[in-house]
Amino acid sequence: MKTTTNFKAAIILSVMASIMVACSSNKKPIATDTATEVAGSEVDFKIEKSGAQLWGEVCNRCHIAPSPADYNDTDWETISLHMRVRANLTEEEITKIESFLKSAN
Amino acid sequence: MTLIILGLGSSALAQTYNTFEPSKTQFMLRGYGHTGFEYLDTGGEQESTFLGATFAPIFLYKHSDKLMFEAELEFELEGNELKTGLEYADVMYVLNKHMTVRAGKFLLPFGTFMERLHPAWINRLPSRPLGFGHDGIAPASDIGVELRGAFDLGGPKLNYAVYVTNGPRIKDGSEEPEEAGMLDFGYYEDVNLAKALGGRIGLLPLSDSSMEWGISAYTTNSTGAEDSDYKDVGAFLWALDLSYVKSITPLQGVVDIKAQYNSSNVDTATYYEIEDGISEPYSFDNQSSSFYTQLSYRPIMSGSDFMKQLEFVGRYSDFNAPEGAEWEEKSTQYAFGLNYWLSWRSVVKFSYQTTKMEGGHDSDGTTRTNGLFVHWAIGF
Ligand code: HEC
Repeated sequence: MKTTTNFKAAIILSVMASIMVACSSNKKPIATDTATEVAGSEVDFKIEKSGAQLWGEVCNRCHIAPSPADYNDTDWETISLHMRVRANLTEEEITKIESFLKSAN
Repeated sequence: MTLIILGLGSSALAQTYNTFEPSKTQFMLRGYGHTGFEYLDTGGEQESTFLGATFAPIFLYKHSDKLMFEAELEFELEGNELKTGLEYADVMYVLNKHMTVRAGKFLLPFGTFMERLHPAWINRLPSRPLGFGHDGIAPASDIGVELRGAFDLGGPKLNYAVYVTNGPRIKDGSEEPEEAGMLDFGYYEDVNLAKALGGRIGLLPLSDSSMEWGISAYTTNSTGAEDSDYKDVGAFLWALDLSYVKSITPLQGVVDIKAQYNSSNVDTATYYEIEDGISEPYSFDNQSSSFYTQLSYRPIMSGSDFMKQLEFVGRYSDFNAPEGAEWEEKSTQYAFGLNYWLSWRSVVKFSYQTTKMEGGHDSDGTTRTNGLFVHWAIGF
């Protein structure tokens, strides 16, 4: 069982390392700055992504994306919170998508 | 005078409007159902049946922008019996931008199939891949608490989930000798003091969110009852998952790739086999694995309205249960499907599936099962 234990340790360590990398790169604006220099247009493009575009990219990943007209505003609020948690979406993504869905129904 | 009338009028109007204002407590009753027809040929023995409809109502209660409750009930006819189940029932609270806590019975983020893809209106094929569901090796749901959240890495995104739950129970063979050594994830009552600890990290490396890689781990120090010989039998499981969904113009449609690999390692233990009234001890290296990959394509940019609703699916899956166990098995399965989408949440699936199984529950030799399925699923 020695190999299993080593393997276990390796996986747990790599998981922890990824969390740390993720958290630190999220806090350091420097990372974004360098990215802006290297691929400025791409980053600008990302910042300007609209709710409609995010809806097209994000809501198709697991099931076919529903259209704005499928639900009313109240239901979109419930669904957005549900999907934010179930699909583990970022706050930015869900806020933009929710306002798009509510504005276009 | 006119002013007074106008004033009265508008306040009356405001009153009428008030009754239509959304209540602070938002409630949605939704869910899904499916039904179908199956024809199976197992090593020359045929059977065919219409499947009893399955109905799974889902209740969503949103109390505020942060607090919500979700629950799913399941009603299914199994033979002549109505089987009911509580698929999940959990409360969730958004603690901050990057962290949400969930507690109750929830679907486990062990890979993605069970948590995100198994509902009939989402799953592109009528069946689950090998290794999931009844006698599967991947944990599907459990009772406990979980923290989850996501980070924007300036283009790429990262999401995480970590949870503590009651954990599985090991089947010691006293009830079903042919299943000795299997983990029972459907046994929700805690049999011991040890808890299961698990988590998943998902990385979406591309800024268009088309690809996600996930790694999951799940571990427990004890799967047996506190006072049993199996108390110290621990288990460690891990999984890798991939999702890629992209609209590709030269292909005139959406390509969807999903894959998941599951590995389960249970500490070696001694089980007993009763032969001619004598109890014989035996043991085996308790390692199982399963894998599936699925490719589907929807020609949504096609000029024909009919073609736009179609979807072509292929899936490969395999499952390996430990050598030396009574449930030793090596299976491979190919499934092909043609789907017709009536809406984003209703689909008619036609599929052909062929499975080759070596061993399996106390049977020797190779069995080949071919099946034809027609299913109709609807989400609401
Ligand atoms: C990571 C996978 C995933 C992503 C991404 C996703 N969904 Fe879902 N969605 C699900 C699952 C799984 C369900 C079914 C939940 C259940 O029935 O338990 C669901 C259900 C729904 C439903 C039915 C109502 C409900 O809340 O259960 C709607 C509407 C919906 N999703 C809309 C969206 C929208 C809009 C987006 C984009 C913001 C989105 N989904 C992104 C997985 C996903």
